[in-house]
Amino acid sequence: MSAAAPGGSRELRHPGVLRLGRREFPAGQLVVMAIVNRTPDSFYRPGVTWDPAAALERVHEAVAEGADIVDVGGVPARPGDEVDAKEEIRRTIPFIAAVREAYPELIISVDTWRHEVGREACAVGADLLNDTWGGWDSRLVEVAAQAGIGVVCSHAGRLPPRTRPYRVSYDDVVSDVLNVTLSLASRAIAVGVEPDRILIDPAHDFGKNTWHSLEITRRLGELVATGWPVLVSVSNKDFVGETLDVPVDDRLAGTLATTAVCAWLGARVFRAHHVRETRHVLSTISVIRGDVPPARVVRGLA
Amino acid sequence: MLTGAALCPATPLLHPAVTGRAAVVPELRAACARAVTQLLTGEPDTVVVIGPAAATGQWDPFGRLDPSVFAPGLPATGHRSLPPALGLGALLLDQAGYAGRRRLQAVGHDEPVSACVRLGRRLSETGTRSALLVMGDGSARRTLKAPGYLDERASAFDAEVERAVRAGDLGALQRLDQRLAHDLMATGRAAWQVLSGAWPGQGNDAEVLYCDAPFGVGYLVAYLRPSAASTPHR
Repeated sequence: MSAAAPGGSRELRHPGVLRLGRREFPAGQLVVMAIVNRTPDSFYRPGVTWDPAAALERVHEAVAEGADIVDVGGVPARPGDEVDAKEEIRRTIPFIAAVREAYPELIISVDTWRHEVGREACAVGADLLNDTWGGWDSRLVEVAAQAGIGVVCSHAGRLPPRTRPYRVSYDDVVSDVLNVTLSLASRAIAVGVEPDRILIDPAHDFGKNTWHSLEITRRLGELVATGWPVLVSVSNKDFVGETLDVPVDDRLAGTLATTAVCAWLGARVFRAHHVRETRHVLSTISVIRGDVPPARVVRGLA
Repeated sequence: MLTGAALCPATPLLHPAVTGRAAVVPELRAACARAVTQLLTGEPDTVVVIGPAAATGQWDPFGRLDPSVFAPGLPATGHRSLPPALGLGALLLDQAGYAGRRRLQAVGHDEPVSACVRLGRRLSETGTRSALLVMGDGSARRTLKAPGYLDERASAFDAEVERAVRAGDLGALQRLDQRLAHDLMATGRAAWQVLSGAWPGQGNDAEVLYCDAPFGVGYLVAYLRPSAASTPHR
């Protein structure tokens, strides 16, 4: 099995319950993580939730549309104006506190690579640290362990935060994704994160060209076979755009098609801009898989 | 002797597994449950389930409907399924907690009136206290959205069945036209004529518990018990 291939310490698991906050998600349940950016310059609809009231409104909408998790980020993934830890904290922490107050049970994830930000987020009630840059700051996972919350172990191609892939190549991208994410998961356990609160994320587009992102989509089953719950973040990303040659505002269909394939192959958490549409895709997949009965069936049976 | 009769539609929508997460027609299911419960208060020794099928014949009384014939993906029972009408009757008896003797009697869709009546008479002459659970549907052509599209004659056909049942006038069911019933996709015709043969008397106490066509198929749920004035076969 490729997941048992050499390359660092690896923890395989039996697929089981995912625990976030006080909630438990069994293996068959597909979970939507809604993206809420506290940035003026994100790639998708820049600045739309820059205003705190608009951002909270976005949370209300996402919850109403079926999001189980909100993922709050204060720094765009792409290069741009410097956002230091202090500014990132200013952007995200009061907002997380407000979301926590409005929704005591909602799972709050924080998209950050900095342990300083993670620590502040834990203090105001975050449930998950989404370490998209793949363990760049090795102390971030320690913060998660100390707070007793979860962590996402991502493959960013060993790139520093906020850098673009430049002529990256892999002998086998999937093998590298497995090596990195499973090593990060092992370290998370070693520093004291509860195994039930750890996810792995191949991180589409991060340290990858479009071919690489398509390959990890196609072979997502190899990540699922490790037993770790797999998170995918494909919403409106460049590999979807290049697949179709469409701009960022025309990637919904490609995003949803990719979402459906990932769900079919066993991903469990889906980071998304379009919560309602994603929820519908995931419900459809759950029903096709036979994990959930259809909502209401009459056709041909009257 | 007959202790009573219950009429229920043979729609798969009665099966809780095949409609998905919604009950779809909870009031219909409740009416059927009530009709069967009332049927069992007559304390029959045998419940005879009568249902239309491809051919006339008896089926294994321990048989069941395999819902996976309608809903692949549901766990299969691993046994050959009963014809749906009989299987749904068996389901209603199971749901009512009935564990007594049962006879599962199919009547062929194309069985002529005379044969249906003869079969009914035989069923009523078994010498045991029998209750009849008659599974049959009215026309499937009641509305534009009905499975068989609209046929203007459908409502009158179903209304006559309802009238006869409401009046306890089961003999009138023998006058249902076989050809018209076929055209109207009224698959209950043969089963009702078996009932009529078993119990041709008039003036029985009848209670109609449901009569509607929410999906363009006529559903009738009723319970009949012999009144002092009636003369069921003995």
